[in-house]
Amino acid sequence: MISLEKVSCAYKEKSILENISLQIESHISILGENGAGKSTFAKLLCHLQAYKGEIHIDGKNLEQFSLLDLAKTIAYVPAKLEIYDTSISVEEFVLLGRFAYKERFFAYSKEDRKKVQEVLERLHLEHLSGVSMGTLSSGQTQLVLIAQALAQESKIIIFDEPTANLDPKNSKIIGMYIKQLQEKYQIILITHDLHLARFINAPVLFVQDKGIRLEEDFFKSTKLSELYGVDFEDLAVVYA
Amino acid sequence: MLRTLVWLAFVLIFLLSPFIGAVNLDITKIVQGDSLSHTLFFELRLPRVLFAFLAGAILALSGMLFQTLFRNPLMTPYTLGISSGAVLGAGIAIKLGLATLFFGVASVSLFGFLGAFLTVLLLIYLSQFLHTAYNSSLLLLGIALSLFYTSALMIVFYLGSSIQNDMLIRFTMGSLSIIGWEHPILLGGVLFVLLGSILLYKYELQLMSISDTSAQLKGVNTKNTTLLLLLVSSLAIGVLVSISGPIGFVGLIVPHMVLKLYPVTIEKRILITALFGGFFLVFCDTLTRVLQTQSELPIGIVTALVGGPFFIYLIVKGSEK
Repeated sequence: MISLEKVSCAYKEKSILENISLQIESHISILGENGAGKSTFAKLLCHLQAYKGEIHIDGKNLEQFSLLDLAKTIAYVPAKLEIYDTSISVEEFVLLGRFAYKERFFAYSKEDRKKVQEVLERLHLEHLSGVSMGTLSSGQTQLVLIAQALAQESKIIIFDEPTANLDPKNSKIIGMYIKQLQEKYQIILITHDLHLARFINAPVLFVQDKGIRLEEDFFKSTKLSELYGVDFEDLAVVYA
Repeated sequence: MLRTLVWLAFVLIFLLSPFIGAVNLDITKIVQGDSLSHTLFFELRLPRVLFAFLAGAILALSGMLFQTLFRNPLMTPYTLGISSGAVLGAGIAIKLGLATLFFGVASVSLFGFLGAFLTVLLLIYLSQFLHTAYNSSLLLLGIALSLFYTSALMIVFYLGSSIQNDMLIRFTMGSLSIIGWEHPILLGGVLFVLLGSILLYKYELQLMSISDTSAQLKGVNTKNTTLLLLLVSSLAIGVLVSISGPIGFVGLIVPHMVLKLYPVTIEKRILITALFGGFFLVFCDTLTRVLQTQSELPIGIVTALVGGPFFIYLIVKGSEK
């Protein structure tokens, strides 16, 4: 369980989120307009963002997590792969997810490598294992990022706009996997993709005006119109 | 195929290099303890080839390290002004006529090292104030520092006697001319520490070669790792530059050449980069002796002549749309 108590944070002295108190016990989807603070919220949970207030994960204060413990607790799947050295192979890239389990200054173990093979098989990526990361398509890259997160074996996985760069087919594939992963992991999904959010069918947290609140009946067109401030009526067929 | 050819050529040059120079050695007399050829071979040529090899390895490894830690192909101790800092330090020591030893370390070396070390501290301090486009701003900082140091060195020149200035000019051109085994042994120790640290942290480096955030999210303390490796590397560069003077472009181009030949993850490229850098500098040093007229060309000039065009190529290619 993730709990936030009176959490506020800012970026370059500009306040992004203010006085957030909430508890996340299960899967959750986070929506909101561009720049509302969704990704900042994800960064908060990954301890990449300075904040005031208190954040607890399973009763433990976030400040008390070592980097390694946090990596074993939360995995983060970014929208886009930021990578400097693209010569690394898919298999080696996924193996990096095992860093927190590796003995310091020693090589990755056989179990680590076995785990990676399992994950690659599960996501049907075995045929790509020797391919370098620089040559993958957007869809393949997103799958490999998920594979790395799975290799990390953390309880919580945050997806930050996983379908932002994908065509409908690949979006669907990613959506199916996320749905499957809900069985074993706590999934926090940040997205603009209403199809995906609806498909995942988790309670929706809406980020607006520096606050976050739970929205019931989020997918009703009247509700969407109200929240986003534009008319969704003509999309009523899709979001009835 | 290309790989094999490159290595074969390198090894061949490495083996031939001690026999090339201003004075032709009498090969039959090299093993005779009291001959000139013996002294030349064992006290000048052999230590020099080894010294060049170790220096090349240190330069290449430092370049690779800086490029990876800052995820920028143009980052090297040279482009960040760390080498210039060492030169200024050494220049001041020469100007002050400090030939004495501090705790067994030559003062020129000590000042050279201090110049490099203080530059790193200055860069780390200044980098706190950088927000946007962190890495390119840092590169600009380094270039600004280099220019500042060059001007400061001009003042040292201005104040120096002609004998001191002659020493300084030779020093700023870079030179691998050494006598005896003292310097190769020192440099061997430095390389051991540098290579050891990099190998110890190779998995952290591998993660940081993806991105800083990605590494943190997997559990790497990126700040401490960067700091430690930067300090070890600036120590190595400081010691090297204080002996040889600045030798540019090796740190810049060798890691890129290795990546072209071996497009694999950095963890597997560390030893190859060290070897390649070593052989590459021996090759350049051999060139200085082959091309010599009245006296041999300074090594810094040869590496710059080879590296300059490559540097321009990298910038143009990097900004291609």
